[in-house]
Amino acid sequence: MEQQIKELRERAGAAVDGSTNLRELDDVRVKFLGKKGELTALLRGMNQLSAEERPIVGQLVNNARREIEDLIAEKNSQLKASELQAKLASEKIDVTLPGRRIHEGHLHPLTLTLNRVKEIFVSMGYTVEEGPEVETDYYNFEALNLPKDHPARDMQDSFYITEEILLRTQTSPVQARTMERHKNNEPIRMIAPGRVYRRDDYDASHSPMFTQVEGLVIDKGISFADLKGTLEDFSKKIFGEKTKIRLRPSFFPFTEPSAEVDVSCVMCHGEGCKVCQGTGWLEILGAGEVHPDVLKMSGYDPDVVSGFAFGMGIERIAMLTYGLDDMRLLYDNDVRFLKQF
Amino acid sequence: MQVSTKWLKDYIDIDLTADELAEKFTMAGIPVENVIRAGEGLEKVVTGRIEELKAHPDSDHLQICQMDVGAENLLQIVTGAQNVAEGQIVPVALVGANLPCGKKISKGKMRGVVSNGMLCSADEMNIEGDSSGIYILPDDTPIGIPAAEVLGLDDDILEFELTANRGDCFSVVGLVRELSVLTKKFPRYPVIEVTEDDERNAADLVKIGINAIDLCSRFSARVLTDVKLAPSPDWIVKRLEGAGMRAINNVVDATNFVMLELGQPLHAYDFDAVIGHELTARRAVEGEPLHTLDDTNRLAKGGELVIADAEKAAGLAGIMGSFETEITEKTATVILEAACFNSASIRRTSRAVGIHSEASGRFERGTNEKGTVAALDRVAQLLQDMGACKVCKGVVDVYPNPKPEVKIKFTSAQINQRLGTNYGDAEIIDVLSSLGFKIDPTNKAEELTEEVIDKFATATKNISKAARQIGNKSNVEGFMKNIGETFSGIFKRADEKISDKTKERVEDFVGNISAAVGDMVKTVDMKVASAFEVTVPDWRNDVRLPEDLSEEVARIFGFDKIPSTLPKGNQQGHQSATQNFIDRVKKILSSLGMCEELSFAFTSEQMFDKMQIPADSPLRQAVPIMNPLTDEAPLLRTTLLASIFENAARNFARKNEDVRLFDVAPVFFPKSLPVTEQPLERQQVVGLLMGRREPKGWSQNPAQVDFYDAKGIVEELLAGLSINNYIVEAGTHYALHPGKTAVFKKGRDILVTVGEVHPAVSEALGIKKKIYVFEADIDTLQKFAAKKFTFASLPKYPSISRDLAILVDHDTSAGDVEKVIAKSGGEFFKGVTLFDVYTGEQIPADKKSLAFAIDFRSNERTLKDEEADSAFKNILSAVEKEFGATLRS
Repeated sequence: MEQQIKELRERAGAAVDGSTNLRELDDVRVKFLGKKGELTALLRGMNQLSAEERPIVGQLVNNARREIEDLIAEKNSQLKASELQAKLASEKIDVTLPGRRIHEGHLHPLTLTLNRVKEIFVSMGYTVEEGPEVETDYYNFEALNLPKDHPARDMQDSFYITEEILLRTQTSPVQARTMERHKNNEPIRMIAPGRVYRRDDYDASHSPMFTQVEGLVIDKGISFADLKGTLEDFSKKIFGEKTKIRLRPSFFPFTEPSAEVDVSCVMCHGEGCKVCQGTGWLEILGAGEVHPDVLKMSGYDPDVVSGFAFGMGIERIAMLTYGLDDMRLLYDNDVRFLKQF
Repeated sequence: MQVSTKWLKDYIDIDLTADELAEKFTMAGIPVENVIRAGEGLEKVVTGRIEELKAHPDSDHLQICQMDVGAENLLQIVTGAQNVAEGQIVPVALVGANLPCGKKISKGKMRGVVSNGMLCSADEMNIEGDSSGIYILPDDTPIGIPAAEVLGLDDDILEFELTANRGDCFSVVGLVRELSVLTKKFPRYPVIEVTEDDERNAADLVKIGINAIDLCSRFSARVLTDVKLAPSPDWIVKRLEGAGMRAINNVVDATNFVMLELGQPLHAYDFDAVIGHELTARRAVEGEPLHTLDDTNRLAKGGELVIADAEKAAGLAGIMGSFETEITEKTATVILEAACFNSASIRRTSRAVGIHSEASGRFERGTNEKGTVAALDRVAQLLQDMGACKVCKGVVDVYPNPKPEVKIKFTSAQINQRLGTNYGDAEIIDVLSSLGFKIDPTNKAEELTEEVIDKFATATKNISKAARQIGNKSNVEGFMKNIGETFSGIFKRADEKISDKTKERVEDFVGNISAAVGDMVKTVDMKVASAFEVTVPDWRNDVRLPEDLSEEVARIFGFDKIPSTLPKGNQQGHQSATQNFIDRVKKILSSLGMCEELSFAFTSEQMFDKMQIPADSPLRQAVPIMNPLTDEAPLLRTTLLASIFENAARNFARKNEDVRLFDVAPVFFPKSLPVTEQPLERQQVVGLLMGRREPKGWSQNPAQVDFYDAKGIVEELLAGLSINNYIVEAGTHYALHPGKTAVFKKGRDILVTVGEVHPAVSEALGIKKKIYVFEADIDTLQKFAAKKFTFASLPKYPSISRDLAILVDHDTSAGDVEKVIAKSGGEFFKGVTLFDVYTGEQIPADKKSLAFAIDFRSNERTLKDEEADSAFKNILSAVEKEFGATLRS
């Protein structure tokens, strides 16, 4: 009997070893440990043993069963692991195939630039004002100290609807309209972003329609130094901390003194390059202290308050920010262009 | 306007390069647009004499020259030129020269013989002349000097882009005046002297009149006799050429020279050709013939200023003279005109006739009314110096209303406050007087001196007292010496403006300051309250207010000297509700895969035709532009579809076939046509989709977008804007497919129109693809958008879902069925989703199958199945009754 158990145990061991998959292993388990299995059959044969022999043999059978069970369990986890491995190996895919894309939407680069400009000025306490694109001659010119036949009107050839109505050539009329809405020399800090129109040919640096932001600050004691500090602050925020500005005296009928404002070239940082034509400077703004006549015409008293105003082209800033070399890209609306921003 | 630096240097001693001059002028508000450097590239070209000429041993055409270029040793140069000979003086490019023609000269060998430079031809130096060989210089040319000098190429040219306000800088003298202030160098203006050597009175020979005083404020004339027409002397020719003008004859050249020099345009008439010997400034009559200098016959529009003789117009005032009165070889007597014309009138006429001359440019910016006679005298002087004329006695000067002097009162505090600076009285006065502003000597300077002396006296007493208390003599002496120097500086500047008596007292005082310390400088308040008064120089038409003076101060000291500060006080920045709303619309649409476009506001009838917009539609009533840029864009758009269609077509033409665009911009509706007032501007949003539903890819859905993709975007947009409970129904639009157009409505307001573009429209646009668009009015959207965000809490109890699959007639709209389901769903009905639409096999041809998932839920408790079943039954019987629907098994 003892011999029989030993021999069965060895055979079972070999059979477990020999199993190559979980099904075979289960067959082994049934063959040896199942209800009709060999070990069970041995147990049944124990009836014929003496009472003294029975516990001993029983012990032996139980030991053998435990051993075989352990072997099976061990083999089972081995086989499971290798089967998982094989399964994973068979599931391998080409990870270099492109992923599934969705249509992505984009805001226009001019909107992105304008948003940034608005953000900066709103954070400095400016309101964002708007006005009509089709303006009267009065608001577009006369309220800005540009009477009819003023030579400066040449600078901005306009699209006329009638003798007295035109597509605005600047967003400055919004300043006059905003001043008129305020009473009693109330302080103003505003910007007016918007589309403006000039009868320019359409080329790499001109467009019959473009986007401007004008700014106006009115209060007691607003000085040219305040304008300089404000523009310096803005330029650093939009073009980076190291940006410097330079003011050149100029002439606008609506400001006195007036300045053209250059920033140190955003490409070469003032060293001189193709973009700044070797000068190290880029003109981005026109600005000045508001002319007393302009204040008076819109109901402000220049003896009590003063102010500054500035105007900039957003296309220019966007082109510098994104390194664009042709303005027409911005109005071409080629989706391959729009999708890059 | 352009000016040669040499001409400037005739009148002022300056040691600045053209670039430095350009920078100085520009930073003072007189912008130099460009510097034309003469002799650029000729820096290393010198004059040299050919001392010896030998044939090259290994070449038929090369010759070996030994050149004297003023250096210690002769220079050996091999040349291929044949026109050279020993003893000639020629331009020699030395090693290192970088010639204008692009040649770079380096040391080298030619056929084995060392060559240390090159003899230059005219071409190689980029100058005029015979270029078949080496440029031969005159025999008396000095050796070893820069070739540019002998070639007359050492005169750099400044090109000015003058601002509209600075007419006074439109002349050499005007520029020199500025330059003298900027460089603190003394100018040498031309001394104008004329000898009236013809006994006759000009006033007896010619009659001058003004019949349009608003357009011509002054008309001055001189009469020159014995005129001998000849070429101008070389120096005048050079100056004119430097300014970009051609020399013609001495008379014309002298007038041009003086215009450039003094800024006053002049005109010379042939006395004998002027009928009646009278000249009158008057308005032209409509249709009046004008035979101008350029031999063009023009007809006056009427109203433009002309100078007329007794019979007819003898020239367009300030723009162009007449053909008949032009100076010719036969001219013996000249009437010289120097007048002041209204700048607006000249500008209008010059634009109307399309002639922009040096003269008209000056009149447009405004000339100096007081400068006419000096200009006449200067021309007379120049011609007299040339021996080209005699000058009649007197000037015929019609000047009915002499321009009053402009006086401005101001305080330094006023100027400093405007600029944010802290300049002292003396500094400000200094700048203004150097610019020619007259400060009344009895006025401020005196007051200032008196006051300062008073304060000094008090301060001196205090200082002495303080010094005695301190007791350290040497410290006190040193300090006082410094103070003495400071004050003498101040007074020196005020020197010329104060009386001799005061001057003495000042000198005494300054000399007497010899003891003390303290807060003297503080005590002396330089900003005394009373105002200065200055008289504006007559050449400055642009200065009339204290603010204008602030600009003069700022630009002369330099804008870079102004500090940077920020406005004081805080204000709250914000956007308007509409701006925020538009930003929100853009954000939602871009998050839905749409790209924002930016388009011009223009459109055309052709585009309306393509869009099938009928003649009587309000969309056709577009605002016309009087002067459109092109015939393709003569109208203001009434619909953004016009713009987005253009962009879609452009993309399609470039083979960008998957396009998703949106635009938010205004459209324009006239209140009446023809336009009499500003049109109505409405902000619109449009979107356009065409091409693949998903981006092209190996495992992407290749299907093309359809109506429901566009509608889905609209639904998401409305959901994003919290616009709910709208109605969707079939709609129409000229440009859209009649069976595939829907409108989203709230009551009678149309929120959005969405649809497939009419195939005829797509074809007209040249797009061979189905296009889907939507269009909405921003104001209407904003009106219905929730002002406040509200949050819907998550359900506490589970919901029960029942599927309803029914057969209905083909024409039944799913939207109607949904409405009936919602209405009959009972209190627990929470929502319905159409999840399948089917036609085809197993379904009768005139029917379609619709499958809805219907949700029931209670907010108080878990719903029982029976309750959902009963509600479902109600729904079923309602759709059966309403649509004859049958349950699909």
